[in-house]
Amino acid sequence: MRLTDMARQRFETTDHPYGESVGCLINEFARLPGIGRKSAERLAHHVLSCSGEEALGLADAIRQVKESIRYCTLCFNLTEDELCSICRDTRRNQQVVCVVEQPRDIVSLEAAGVFEGVYHVLGGALAPLSGVGPEQLRIEPLLRRVRSEGVTEVVMATNPTLEGDGTALFLSNLLDELPVSVTRLARGIASGSVLEFANREMLADAMRGRQTF
Amino acid sequence: MEKTEAVVIRVADFSETSRVVTLFSRDFGKIAGLAKGGRRLKGPFEAALDLLATCQIVFLRKSSASLDLLTEAKLISRFRPYGRSLHSLYGGYYVAELLSGLTEDYDPHPVLYDQAILALQRLAGDADFRSVLLRFEMALLREIGQLPALDFCITCNTPVGDDRRFAFWVSAGGLICSHCQRPEYGSPTITADAATLLSRFSDPNSPIPDIPPDRLPELRRVVTPAICHVLEHRPKMLRFLPF
Ligand SMILES: [Zn+2]
Ligand SMILES: [Zn+2]
Repeated sequence: MRLTDMARQRFETTDHPYGESVGCLINEFARLPGIGRKSAERLAHHVLSCSGEEALGLADAIRQVKESIRYCTLCFNLTEDELCSICRDTRRNQQVVCVVEQPRDIVSLEAAGVFEGVYHVLGGALAPLSGVGPEQLRIEPLLRRVRSEGVTEVVMATNPTLEGDGTALFLSNLLDELPVSVTRLARGIASGSVLEFANREMLADAMRGRQTF
Repeated sequence: MEKTEAVVIRVADFSETSRVVTLFSRDFGKIAGLAKGGRRLKGPFEAALDLLATCQIVFLRKSSASLDLLTEAKLISRFRPYGRSLHSLYGGYYVAELLSGLTEDYDPHPVLYDQAILALQRLAGDADFRSVLLRFEMALLREIGQLPALDFCITCNTPVGDDRRFAFWVSAGGLICSHCQRPEYGSPTITADAATLLSRFSDPNSPIPDIPPDRLPELRRVVTPAICHVLEHRPKMLRFLPF
């Protein structure tokens, strides 16, 4: 049994004085990120006390999202259409492709609002110890895109963890054979902080990634 | 509250902000703990809990039924593979896989801990990953009491001499000379020279010998089965390492 399952199982029981269906609802809420047992109970009581229309509206919204959202056939972002809004946007530079692990990374990068190219979602990071090898990721579709669509730059924006960096390394070795430049996100000191309080690692990263004025 | 130095050998996200982290620690052996807020950049973990990172940790030991609670981790060093070498990276993963599979919770092995840290440092440098891993595997087998006997025949006790071929009998944990061999053992054979070279790998205090390229397959014919035997399966990382 996985450790995380083991820890979760201690909490899970459908017993509840009002009946099993309430117990189930509490369990479902408790599975949501950032929701503890107490919050789950509060949410369940809210559902029990609000109007049928309101409660079923929530259920419908969840159903609709699950039924209409799918992967963009080009970049594997989430979308309701064949192509996501970023891939459809003709003002964006289709020759610059930013590689991310998950669709939610696109949301973060788009909120920063500086990238004008398009994305490619791998679906995770290479993690051989957890059984995620190259064949589990959308690497072939990325190589096809680079080969056939005149991509000039691939920006690695995988997580700055060992496995994220390892994934970027694996990809950049593959892309070496293709006429495309490979870059990666800079890392280092956060804006608004001072050098004095930056740790050794941040300073080393910042020094290595220095740019011309 | 316990304090020790440890290397992260497994990380699993537990919730939006928390992680379950398995560490191999110098003073307590393998431990698994919940790090609340372990995915945040700020706070008591400062993004230190990355795979193969070495940290100074503080944790709260819980009863056997539940996970320990990690309360603090200060980064000592992150593992960075050498240059653009995937072998260096995969070698690091292999070290984590062996520590995780072949050590027990709360069974400390400071010598093995030091060897693991050394192996990671060597992999991050320009040392040949094959010899670095061989040294680590042999040090690990020795430390957990599973080192194959390499200097005599395990049936007749004849010392391993020059220019004779030996079979490696994995389940008996040692070499068998040509007189004692039976066809039904069907084990791969190695030369006495290779056996001697291999025993030099098992002494953690001696410098790591160079492996002549033509010798490597012979050495792997002993070490890979020995590791698979104690692990009771083939390590996942072997598929990624060109031994
Ligand atoms: Zn798209
Ligand atoms: Zn014999």
